[in-house]
Amino acid sequence: MKKVLTILSILLVAVTFGTSSVFAAESGNTEEINPKEIIFDHLGDGYGWEVPFSHSHRIPLPVIVCDYEGSWHIFSSSRLSHGGEYDGFKLATEGDYRNKVVGMRPDGNGGMEEYRPLDLSITKNVAALIISAIVVMLMVFSVVRWYKRHGMKAPRRGVGAVEVVIAYIYDGVIKPTLGTKAKKFAPYLLTVFFFILTMNLLGLVVIFPGGANLTGNIAVTLVLSVCTFLMTNLFGTKHYWKDIFWPDVPLWLKFPIPIMPVIEVFGVFTKPAALTVRLFANMMGGHMIVIVLTLLIFIFTAIGGLAIGGVTTVVSVAFSLFMLLIDTLVSFIQAYVFTMLSTLFISLAQAGGEHEAVSDGEAH
Amino acid sequence: MELFTPEFGLVFWMFVVFAILFIILAKYAWPFIIKSLEERADMIDKGVVYAQNAKEQLDNAKAEAGKYIAEAQKKQADILRDAAKIKSQIIEEAKTAASDEAKKVMDAAKLAIEQARKESELQFRNEVSSFALSIAEKMLKKNMANDKAQAELVDKLLKEVENKN
Repeated sequence: MKKVLTILSILLVAVTFGTSSVFAAESGNTEEINPKEIIFDHLGDGYGWEVPFSHSHRIPLPVIVCDYEGSWHIFSSSRLSHGGEYDGFKLATEGDYRNKVVGMRPDGNGGMEEYRPLDLSITKNVAALIISAIVVMLMVFSVVRWYKRHGMKAPRRGVGAVEVVIAYIYDGVIKPTLGTKAKKFAPYLLTVFFFILTMNLLGLVVIFPGGANLTGNIAVTLVLSVCTFLMTNLFGTKHYWKDIFWPDVPLWLKFPIPIMPVIEVFGVFTKPAALTVRLFANMMGGHMIVIVLTLLIFIFTAIGGLAIGGVTTVVSVAFSLFMLLIDTLVSFIQAYVFTMLSTLFISLAQAGGEHEAVSDGEAH
Repeated sequence: MELFTPEFGLVFWMFVVFAILFIILAKYAWPFIIKSLEERADMIDKGVVYAQNAKEQLDNAKAEAGKYIAEAQKKQADILRDAAKIKSQIIEEAKTAASDEAKKVMDAAKLAIEQARKESELQFRNEVSSFALSIAEKMLKKNMANDKAQAELVDKLLKEVENKN
């Protein structure tokens, strides 16, 4: 307990000094804090990876863009920092494309206009994505390696922890819901769970390998729920499709005006949409609260001077810490919920057969 | 609104990374892990059943051993009792045999003693009669000096013989 307290207090001090110096540098440059800008910059993506205690230095990442003529340009993001321009590309400073790579092209009237090239850059989020995938693979293959080396022995320590989570998801969620089809869909669902969990937890780590607000980015959650959508509908049974287009309701509800089928079809698309938004909003909310709490320090310092700022620092850091602990829990819960709902949607599409004859009799 | 519009680059990479991760894990990791987990669960279940059986058998064996021991103890007690019986019987027999033998010896001795007594009696009588005869002879020789006395004696003897008959 004493050890934990020591670690906590060290972290508290580190976080306080870290954020102070970072924002000190920032406010030194701009003289005035713009909370909205800071919040959105931190929640969003970037072409470099921030390093602690410095706002101007970033770990460079490759920028990959395809210009309007169809040729590819690959260069380091460090060339674009501090307003630099390379190969005709630069970071937009304002407008819709703020902080994105933009190029110039003729607008047809003899002048030049800004345009957004096809941008496949390895941004901070993409890099974090790859790191997360590698972490997941290391985790999962550590279990595989254990089985290959030690056979039927129960794994210990880290490997044991991973195995416990795998068993928890497989035996607690996938198997009871999907039954005999569990083995067919388990690889997808387990991959989803571990990938989301890793991304969530890495997002909470403030420095380099973490810090990207990945699952709080709608693109990431969108792809995940589209995958669930595909899994649900590509493997859907005949019974599932029948229930959508010709559900067991009184005839007037589906003919001549197909009220129920429309609602059902709508439901097919709202399910993944709900998945997307749930994960995205939860994770983004967590990140946002921590950033806002941190920003409070600078807002109050700007208003009331150092004394009030100092008091706010202690309160804010304590609250941020509390929120981060909750976010750790939320990371697990959201990964669990996403997996559970995906399992549920897939199992609904796998329903079939046994009640068909009875319900057909009722319908006609 | 930037937060709510998915960036194409990130969607693309997310899809690629996720697909690769999924393919690799689905091919090389998950089926193997699930199989191993289930195998181990089966093995543990089997182990539990086996242990239960073994315990049952052990209990049975213990009960059986107890039964055997009780039986053996009973047999031992029986044998001891029989032995005691036989012992007393032998002793009894020996006693009777000894007393029989003693009786026989005694009887023989008695017989011999009787014989000896009779013989000695006979001898004694013979001797006594011979003494008596010699005494009587001597007395007769002294008393039969006169005839009267002789006649009186003959008469007396005759009377005695008559009385006896």
